[in-house]
Amino acid sequence: MTDAPLLNVSNYSVGFKTERGLARAVDGVSFTIGAGETLGIVGESGSGKSVLNRSIMGLIASSRQIETGSVLFDGSEMVNQDRQNFWGNRIGMIFQDPMTSLNPVMKVGKQVAEPLRQHLGMSKRQAIERTIELFTNVGIPSPAQRTKQYPHELSGGMRQRVMIAIALAAEPEFLIADEPTTALDVTVQKYILDLLNRLQAEHGMAMTLITHDLGIARGRTDQVLVMYGGRVMEHAPTEELFTHTRHPYTEALLASIPRLDHKKHARLTPIPGAPPNIVEPPPGCRFSPRCKYAQARCVQSSPTVDGAEHRYACFFPVGTDAGAEALASNRAAGETATGLKMSHFEVDA
Amino acid sequence: MKYWTQRLTMVLALMLAVSMLTFASMNVLGDPLFNILGPISGDRKTPENLVKIEAAEKQYYLDKPLPERYVRWLGDFVTGDMGVRFAATGQPPVTELVKERLPRSLWLVFMAQVLALAIAVPWGVWSASRSNSLANKASTVAAFGFVSVPNFALAVILYYIFALKLGLFPLRYDASASFLTRKTQLLLPALTLALPGAAVYQRLLRTDLITTLQEDFILTARAKGVPRRQILFRHALRPSLFSVVTIFGVNAGGMIGGALVVETFFGIPGAGTAIVEAILREDFPVVLALVMIIATGFVVLNFVVDILYSILDPRVRS
Ligand SMILES: Nc1ncnc2c1ncn2[C@@H]1O[C@H](COP(=O)(O)OP(=O)(O)O)[C@@H](O)[C@H]1O
Ligand code: SF4
Ligand SMILES: [Mg+2]
Repeated sequence: MTDAPLLNVSNYSVGFKTERGLARAVDGVSFTIGAGETLGIVGESGSGKSVLNRSIMGLIASSRQIETGSVLFDGSEMVNQDRQNFWGNRIGMIFQDPMTSLNPVMKVGKQVAEPLRQHLGMSKRQAIERTIELFTNVGIPSPAQRTKQYPHELSGGMRQRVMIAIALAAEPEFLIADEPTTALDVTVQKYILDLLNRLQAEHGMAMTLITHDLGIARGRTDQVLVMYGGRVMEHAPTEELFTHTRHPYTEALLASIPRLDHKKHARLTPIPGAPPNIVEPPPGCRFSPRCKYAQARCVQSSPTVDGAEHRYACFFPVGTDAGAEALASNRAAGETATGLKMSHFEVDA
Repeated sequence: MKYWTQRLTMVLALMLAVSMLTFASMNVLGDPLFNILGPISGDRKTPENLVKIEAAEKQYYLDKPLPERYVRWLGDFVTGDMGVRFAATGQPPVTELVKERLPRSLWLVFMAQVLALAIAVPWGVWSASRSNSLANKASTVAAFGFVSVPNFALAVILYYIFALKLGLFPLRYDASASFLTRKTQLLLPALTLALPGAAVYQRLLRTDLITTLQEDFILTARAKGVPRRQILFRHALRPSLFSVVTIFGVNAGGMIGGALVVETFFGIPGAGTAIVEAILREDFPVVLALVMIIATGFVVLNFVVDILYSILDPRVRS
């Protein structure tokens, strides 16, 4: 039991029945998280990060949803089971937009007290006292007064701290933070992320940190899962992923965000094109229409996620001879096998 | 505060305008003297008739110019004296008549609103929380049924089922019964008024609830483990009541109109029947008094609605 990971996700898929067909929002995803560990989940908007996590929790209340595969949480199977007992109690969640994620017509103190009373059976008075402690712990000044305020009376950063207090109220073993800082000012982002890391360490909590910004995952996570069109593109221990990036999508993500260690090429290269249609995905590798390494093989068949510690799904990985050759031949041809002009990538060369 | 002062001023101006219009039209379009004395009012040649005419003109200030009569009437009205009726004896005074009749109608409309909400809230929550079931389709049909059946037809149906067949309610209204008995007598008429209202509230509440249930904060509530029932009643209900509250005021107007029909059908001597009787007899002071009271009721109700908004949403308060 001690060796078993807290969360073990294997070959997990989530589809939505739509008029146009099955939307494969999550497609054959596998990973594990040990107690106290942090997993970063990274990918552009629409890559399936939120669906993955909400589905794991069983929070998607749609009869159109189809789940397959296996998700073991602390040894018990979650897929297609009622997971209500876990909500707030053993798994906490923080959402992207603190402006809309709090009930606008309920005092924030009461919103924190709810899970305390529900899961820990506290009396009203105990819950209020505990709420004030929690507010202090997440860095909310004059906590007693704040409990009596409504969300609209608080700033975005304060509201996100309230959200964190709510998620942590019942001391869950696992926290899912779904883009917790995306909607916040840059100045408060770092504070919230540091706060999450500190609380996680204090509580020995496992956590998934979902973000579309790879930079956020660095230094704050133990392992990173890169998702694209519902699939895992690359999955590795965090430092390994940054130092030995193998997947062209990960590389493209890195090139599209500002990085401190990138002094020479300060210029950013956005990824050309748009995320794939998940109802009718492109043939072969889903990233092929946007990949500068793409070869004929990438359109004919789909790479599987291979590897042990460091897994990735690519025929021509970055930093390998195969990858270098693919890039060289595309440069020579001026375009990729999917017709993407190489000039798009060479502007800063 | 400035907002409320402005609103109050506007409302007072509006009520003055309503009273002037009603007062003027009744005195200009009708012939008060004729209403009081009957055919002899035109006969100023016969001395004994002339005496009666002059006495009546004095009593009802008909010899004074219209604006002066209006000001007199208004002064009396705001101090609670609604004048005398246009009848040979002028008895009972309008104030007495209103005091006797109005409370019944107020109770009727009040009970109807309470019943309508008591029916609509659980019904709306239920139908929003399981929006696709077969039972739900039936409830939609029922709602449209209640809205489209006219008041008098609904009155007949309910009366037939609950009073005649089941004997649950008395057949006639008895004004001399005890307070509580009189209220139970009002239940069936109130239900007649309440059902269409309940159906409207239910539709609005259902639509707003379905929207609210998609909100992010509902996901937060679920994720923190709030049980389903509490999500519906503690989190989703309150932010979904705005349309209901808005229509609440409008609906009260419809219910006053409906009260006319319902009071007549159930034989309740209320303000609705009083106004009909007064119009038929062209008893203008009674009509005027009741029109003014109903208008005031509307104004008060709209203030109540505004206050309800700010109770429902703390953001309105600041
Ligand atoms: N209820 C649903 N029905 C159909 N498609 C959905 C549903 N929810 C999400 N999706 C689709 O799943 C994909 C992944 O969405 P999401 O997980 O929100 O992306 P991310 O969080 O990575 O930005 C999107 O293409 C989205 O349109
Ligand atoms: S090189 Fe081929 S397999 Fe690898 S990401 Fe690009 S298109 Fe996909
Ligand atoms: Mg998302």
